[in-house]
Amino acid sequence: MGKLKIIDLVKTFYKGDNQIKAIDHLSFEVDTGEFVSIVGRSGSGKSTLLNLIGGLDSASGGHIIFDDKDIAGWSRKELALHRRNHVGMIFQSFNLIFTRSALDNVILALTFGGTAKAKRKEKAIAVLSSVGLGERIYHLPDELSGGETQRVAIARALANNPDVILADEPTGNLDSVTADEIIEILVNLNRNKNKTILLVTHDQELAERVSDRVIRLLDGKIIVDKQINRTHENI
Amino acid sequence: MKIFDMVELGLANLWRTKLRTFLTTLGVVIGIGALTSMISFGTGMEKNITEAFKTNDLFNSLHVTSRKIDLEKISEGDMGSITQEMAKKPLELTDSILGMILQVEGVEIAFPEITFRAKIDILDEEREVAISGIPLQMKNNQPFNNMAFGDFFESDTSKSVIVRWETLKRMGIIIENPDEPVKLNFNEKENDFKIYPPDSVIGKTIQIKTAVMDYSNFKLNPLKLLSGNPELPFKEEITEFKISGVIKKQSQFENRNLKGEVLLPFKTANEVPRLAFTNIWDALGGGAESGYNSIYVRIKKPSDMTPVVKILKEEMGLNVFSITDQLKEIRRAFLILDGILGAIGTIALVVAGLGIVNTMIMSILERTREIGIMKAIGGSESQIKWIFFVEAGTIGFVGAIFGLILGWLVTRIANQIANTQFLPAGEPKVDFFYFPLWLILGSIAFSIILSLIAGLYPAIRAARIDPVKALRHD
Repeated sequence: MGKLKIIDLVKTFYKGDNQIKAIDHLSFEVDTGEFVSIVGRSGSGKSTLLNLIGGLDSASGGHIIFDDKDIAGWSRKELALHRRNHVGMIFQSFNLIFTRSALDNVILALTFGGTAKAKRKEKAIAVLSSVGLGERIYHLPDELSGGETQRVAIARALANNPDVILADEPTGNLDSVTADEIIEILVNLNRNKNKTILLVTHDQELAERVSDRVIRLLDGKIIVDKQINRTHENI
Repeated sequence: MKIFDMVELGLANLWRTKLRTFLTTLGVVIGIGALTSMISFGTGMEKNITEAFKTNDLFNSLHVTSRKIDLEKISEGDMGSITQEMAKKPLELTDSILGMILQVEGVEIAFPEITFRAKIDILDEEREVAISGIPLQMKNNQPFNNMAFGDFFESDTSKSVIVRWETLKRMGIIIENPDEPVKLNFNEKENDFKIYPPDSVIGKTIQIKTAVMDYSNFKLNPLKLLSGNPELPFKEEITEFKISGVIKKQSQFENRNLKGEVLLPFKTANEVPRLAFTNIWDALGGGAESGYNSIYVRIKKPSDMTPVVKILKEEMGLNVFSITDQLKEIRRAFLILDGILGAIGTIALVVAGLGIVNTMIMSILERTREIGIMKAIGGSESQIKWIFFVEAGTIGFVGAIFGLILGWLVTRIANQIANTQFLPAGEPKVDFFYFPLWLILGSIAFSIILSLIAGLYPAIRAARIDPVKALRHD
């Protein structure tokens, strides 16, 4: 894929009569294979930005150029295709379907993605082992540890081989050791598979440690956009 | 993603969440069970009543009489109308009138009524009974199309009779079907009732003893008259016939217009020697110089009654006597019955419908987050709708099948209780509930369609829901 371009993006919410600008005329570009962290306080608009890029939400104004196509203003059907084929999303609360086994959660994404029935299981097992979950794939999410659950979620996000991984506080519910393991998976995906990664976190230290670039938001605007000189490679 | 995938996903979802599926289906099962048992009670009631009317032929038969008989006036005590009528010249009911009646649309059978009283003698038991002649066409009608034992007459002239089962019983003769052994109760034992196998009656001889005028030995002896012991100019004539069949025991609804405990072929009956008049129709028709006193007319279905009566009365100028014509109240009763059935059906539909809609909506609303997740990983609205469509349809179908089974079981139990607890002992069993095919298919269709609508509405809503909000939903 080409660059991801965000141009003059606006997202407005209404709470009663109050207009809240969650994203306020925001513009930036992300190169293919770039690892970008988005930091900021809660309410700064970072999750909203991720949802807009992921096509979960639609913009009030501006452009989101993906593969030279502007997804802002797409129909719900087109956005569903965008989510299915171009982005993989990872959430703080994992968002696995708790009645489906780890394997079935990944298979569901493959089913939506159009993988032939005969190949789904094989492919799901492969992607699960690629994130370090070779065993316990027949367990329900409730029966897995937090780290294992998030691995399943990453496997699911990777199932349809997206170009961009959107991770919204993926380590927020994990202890520090497990969190490091999850971040390592993301870093490996970025370094070895050239996936573009947008990581939303409130952890400035983590962001600076792993990313190529840190964008800080406040009230829906970029207040810092900093390239990280990653010479020391400490991960 | 193909349709098959969505069907499979829907079914797999149901299978994975067995408890929720079970409870949701149970809601549908109870709804359909209530619906079918209530409606089957209504249809059972309707069936029992209309069938009772069909067999008792009160509502699909009429009499064309040579004199006009107005029951309403008689019941009001207006005997003057009868005297007036008797003074008039009666209408002659000839074979050509019979032929015209047979041509009227809606008329199934018409034949002159021949009924007389006589003694019969079977297996050394004697009894005075009413004897009627019936034509061969009656073979295909109730109750002759379904005889208990033996067969219908071979021809209009054969010298054979058909006897009612009840008539034989009144004579102390109980014909036992080898498959259904009869137990005599105390009263029957006391009165020396005997059980016979069918072949001791079928094909055997019956004597019919009629009174005929006989002046040969009659001398008017004034002394005998004075002594109160007059000789009468009658004698008994004995004719022998073969018993060709026995009619089944009739239900208590049976109140036959077709008189006669013993039935003879039409032409044979005409030739049995007897006195000129032996019944009320003969008496009322007395004075007809030729032709028949009355003609029995059977209508194809009760709804044909009004048009047939109109033609016979207005176009042909005949005197028609029919119970339905006299008792207009009966039509009102049918309307009320229809109204009650409609009300029961509506209540059942609403109760079952609300139950199904409620369970389906609840079951889908609690899955909002799951829908949000499916959208986040690329499920489109139509795919999600399809999955829920399959789930709802399956629940509707399975729920309908088990609901029908539940309804059937409940009605069987209710029927058993009603028959053993509420019906007087010794009455033939009544089936209070009836499951016609339309009810079975209709309730399955109703359940599926309602489940789809009930499932589709929240599914569409959920599929349209903002995935961001759905993901935040707990």
